[in-house]
Amino acid sequence: MSVPKLKNYIDGEWVESSSTEVVELRNPALDEIIGHAPMSTRDETNAAVEAAAAAYADWRTTPPVSRSRYLHRLIPLMEENFDELARVQTVEHGKTIDESRGETRRGIEMLEVAAGMPSLMMGYNLEDIAVGIDEYAINQPLGVFSCIAPFNFPFMVPLWFLPFAVAAGNTFVVKSSPRTPMSQVALFKLFDEVGFPPGVVNLVGGAETAANALMDHPLMQGVTFVGSTAVARAVYERCGKNGKRCLAQGGAKNFVVIMPDAPLEQSMVSLTAAFFGNSGQRCLSAANVLVVGDDKAYQRFVDLFVAAAKNIRVGNGLDESVQMGPMQNAASKDRVIGYIEKGLAQGATLALDGRKLLNFDDSLPDRCFLGPTVFENVTPDMTIAQEEIFGPVAGISRVGGLDEAIDIIHQNPYGNAASIFTASGKDARKFQYEVVVGNVGVNVGIVAPMAFFPFGGRKNSFFGVVHGQGRDVVRFFTEPKIVISRWF
Amino acid sequence: MKLNTMAAVMSFISDLETRTASFYDAAGEKHPGLADTCRARAKENRSFEKQVRQTYYGIITDTLESNYCFEGLDSDDYGLNLDPPSSVETVEGRFSEVEKTCQAFYVKAAELSDGLMADLPRLFKRIAKKRASRL
Repeated sequence: MSVPKLKNYIDGEWVESSSTEVVELRNPALDEIIGHAPMSTRDETNAAVEAAAAAYADWRTTPPVSRSRYLHRLIPLMEENFDELARVQTVEHGKTIDESRGETRRGIEMLEVAAGMPSLMMGYNLEDIAVGIDEYAINQPLGVFSCIAPFNFPFMVPLWFLPFAVAAGNTFVVKSSPRTPMSQVALFKLFDEVGFPPGVVNLVGGAETAANALMDHPLMQGVTFVGSTAVARAVYERCGKNGKRCLAQGGAKNFVVIMPDAPLEQSMVSLTAAFFGNSGQRCLSAANVLVVGDDKAYQRFVDLFVAAAKNIRVGNGLDESVQMGPMQNAASKDRVIGYIEKGLAQGATLALDGRKLLNFDDSLPDRCFLGPTVFENVTPDMTIAQEEIFGPVAGISRVGGLDEAIDIIHQNPYGNAASIFTASGKDARKFQYEVVVGNVGVNVGIVAPMAFFPFGGRKNSFFGVVHGQGRDVVRFFTEPKIVISRWF
Repeated sequence: MKLNTMAAVMSFISDLETRTASFYDAAGEKHPGLADTCRARAKENRSFEKQVRQTYYGIITDTLESNYCFEGLDSDDYGLNLDPPSSVETVEGRFSEVEKTCQAFYVKAAELSDGLMADLPRLFKRIAKKRASRL
């Protein structure tokens, strides 16, 4: 089998990188080499930004309705290639084929919403702000924007931004993740087929050098980022120093509160997906469970949850019976194992140890695989309760009541998402009202906002003012110009 | 084989509807008096497959619950004898067996995924109802 060396897409052409730094890409389920990704140089990245800047003048004057039609043409192409787009994600990331299909669908939803840009970017006006004087707010595009993409949703995340940016009249550069760049290459082949004018959409593969080039280039108007909190903060600071707009989504430590009246049996599917979906490698993954109630209620939850976790079939995501794929690489697995050991050392106890693979296809190399792991007796001060593990690890704690649960959530430095499982509308409302997070679930474990809502995030989970997706991101990619006019 | 994910259920339905469509094609050729009925059923079965695929791809999102929606569904419970019926006397019985098995599958799949996956349980119920009307 030939192993491709990935190319950049700059100014409407596929171009080979001259970089000598090349990352070997592996399918984590089979431990096989699937590609080579050059880490683009600063000059190559600058060339992409400059191509985007050169394309801007013409693209901006293309009517919004015509710009949107490129997206309308792209949607059926993506539908036609749906299975292949999903397969690439599973092969390079490891997630299950259903998870990849879900990611593909959510990506397409972004285009469907962004294609409504002629309505979304409309301004507003008021006649007669003074005698014979009218005032208008016109939303205008700004120039070149970019996305520094994460490894965990390699297909979807750039689509939280790119379609909205270009439909609004900007041009764009995606820097794919050095770990999972193939999904973007597959997507850009479709962009190429649709025939966007050269320079409107550009792709560079790379790591820190390419990311810094995007943030430093004087023609770059703004940067979007999704990844860890440490890098999100650094990106935000660098963009701030360079006078760029920045929208940086960071890490998370999401809590689930189980009230004594929670409809547990009905909720178990949602909870299993929340903790172990995408092998826990998502910023919306649930991580900590706070169980309110007496011994009996607590034990009932633990028994049901551990039984469901034990039942999860782990293996190659292309096998349709598999419910959880591998970690994206061996280093991620080692990092998660380090957290499991730290949890044990700090006094938590294992109700299910994912280091021993139970429901697993033994014919696969286990280099990147971990099973679902469940800790009990977790206290809020423990490392496993505080830090983002980014793996299939759940920590269960008992708490005295809803107030205490909310206090514990607020002690945590992250604020991406939190969920409550209850039959009480009163408790649900109190939780939704008080909890300081960007996304709240009520009897829903994964609070993934749809394309037409902003993707929330508070505290160390988000750096910026407006969020990705929906109207927020339209605001990010445009600037209102105020016109006050009088005619004599 | 356990059909624990939506992807597995989709593959099973593809296989089920393709094979039952071919079964009706073959039965129609063998028994010309039933050709119209068989042709209509084969066409409808292929349309069922298409409807399920389009609905599945239309509703699957990154909420990921589709990996856990079908606990308890097993393809072994829905085995079919799809050899063409040899005589006209056995046709009715064989058609009825096939339809009952398919109907039972869709009823169970709808029950397990009800409230978890938008639209699909409704479509499964609709297909089960159409199967029942063939009995």
